[in-house]
Amino acid sequence: MFMASGKSRGSSERPIRVLLAKPAIDGHDRGVYVLARAFRDAGMEVIYPGLLPTPEQIVDIAIDEDVDVIAISLLNGSHMTIFKKVMELLRARHAGDVAVIGGGIIPPRDRPRLERMGVTGNYGPGTPLETIITHVRERAAEVRRRRRVA
Amino acid sequence: MTDTARAIAEGLRRGDRASIARCISIAEDEPELFSRIIKGLYRPGSMPRVIGLTGPPGCGKSTLISLIVPKLVEQGHKVGVVAVDASSPFSGGSFLGNRIRMEEALSSKHVFMRSIATRGAKGGLSVSIINAIITLASAGFDMIVVESVGSGQADTDIANISSTVLLVLSPGLGDEVQAMKAGIMEIADIFVINKAELEGSDRAAGAVRSYLSTISGGQNKDIALTSCTSRRGIDELVRLIGDHESKVNAKEFAERAFRSEVSRIAKELSSRRVDALIDGHAAAIGQMAESMDPYAAAARLLQGDIEGGRSRRPKR
Repeated sequence: MFMASGKSRGSSERPIRVLLAKPAIDGHDRGVYVLARAFRDAGMEVIYPGLLPTPEQIVDIAIDEDVDVIAISLLNGSHMTIFKKVMELLRARHAGDVAVIGGGIIPPRDRPRLERMGVTGNYGPGTPLETIITHVRERAAEVRRRRRVA
Repeated sequence: MTDTARAIAEGLRRGDRASIARCISIAEDEPELFSRIIKGLYRPGSMPRVIGLTGPPGCGKSTLISLIVPKLVEQGHKVGVVAVDASSPFSGGSFLGNRIRMEEALSSKHVFMRSIATRGAKGGLSVSIINAIITLASAGFDMIVVESVGSGQADTDIANISSTVLLVLSPGLGDEVQAMKAGIMEIADIFVINKAELEGSDRAAGAVRSYLSTISGGQNKDIALTSCTSRRGIDELVRLIGDHESKVNAKEFAERAFRSEVSRIAKELSSRRVDALIDGHAAAIGQMAESMDPYAAAARLLQGDIEGGRSRRPKR
């Protein structure tokens, strides 16, 4: 549809809200900007809080901005601790319904453990943007279904 | 009232952040549910003070807000921040990056910040912005800072809902004042020349001052020079905001903001009514193509003077 502006959009099609976060001591933000742009061009509202938010800040922002999805990119090997912390905080704040998606440099052996925590995707370098966008859409749709019945 | 509406209303009363956040989403997406939530919460005549910031992109509005907000909190206010960014007219998506410069200021329990995309709204402000303000007010926030899309164009919307309007400029915009669209200069209460550490800030202030001397009431407006890097002029700006707020006629402001919101809601409802009419008479309207011009057809549609279709009664 040409000029699919929000005004003509039904409430069922309201834009997906994604928090894109790059926590821990990791300043490599090129990739995160590529993602931000891809998500925006896919019609999503992307909240980017800048570099190095703490897990606490990520969860605060996710709640205040009422996002459907948190997408976290980590390239420095701290994924196991950071993701675990984010998941714990989300549960503690009764925000366990937000979907958490991971990406970055994540060794294959860590992926099943992340999945068990509830962190999905866990994409590495070279993943086609379309794959990531599709996954975000699927998880967001899940979240919205759950919220509707809640 | 549905369970959702009741739970969220209850949460707002307690000042629960997740409820505030969800309520602002509902205000954006489900106006009918929102109207049910606020029915019991809305206190007529209790519009919070609204500080509106507008100005061209890149002049430092977000950074300025991050420095002003903690000072307002120090004064005992609970501060809501609503930052509006543009949605792409092509994809409908947006990049909401105002938090980048604000995170430190936002870590207080007395501050709630929300990013809102314009979603096709005209005039620099999102349609749901007042609803966000109403939500925050219901949750006990007494001062709201609104950052509008830095388009400079048609930002006059912000005047309708703000008790104090700040126009933020920075040196090096060329003919700063000339470049501003007509209307913006008139609506601002305080002119801020930000990035005052840069060369040309005095000249920019001078240009604003000389422009103000040509418009009525212009001499009474304040000009502040601020630098977010050295934090120079920030205290002075906060003082000017306080001064202006103390001069605002609360009743007049509440009426103006209320009119603006009633107008928006009425337009939304009538637009839905027209959509329902068109849906209900699609075939009959098509047949009019044979016998009249579109203005005549639209007039007859609105008069209800139309045959061959079932008039579907609009819900409200």
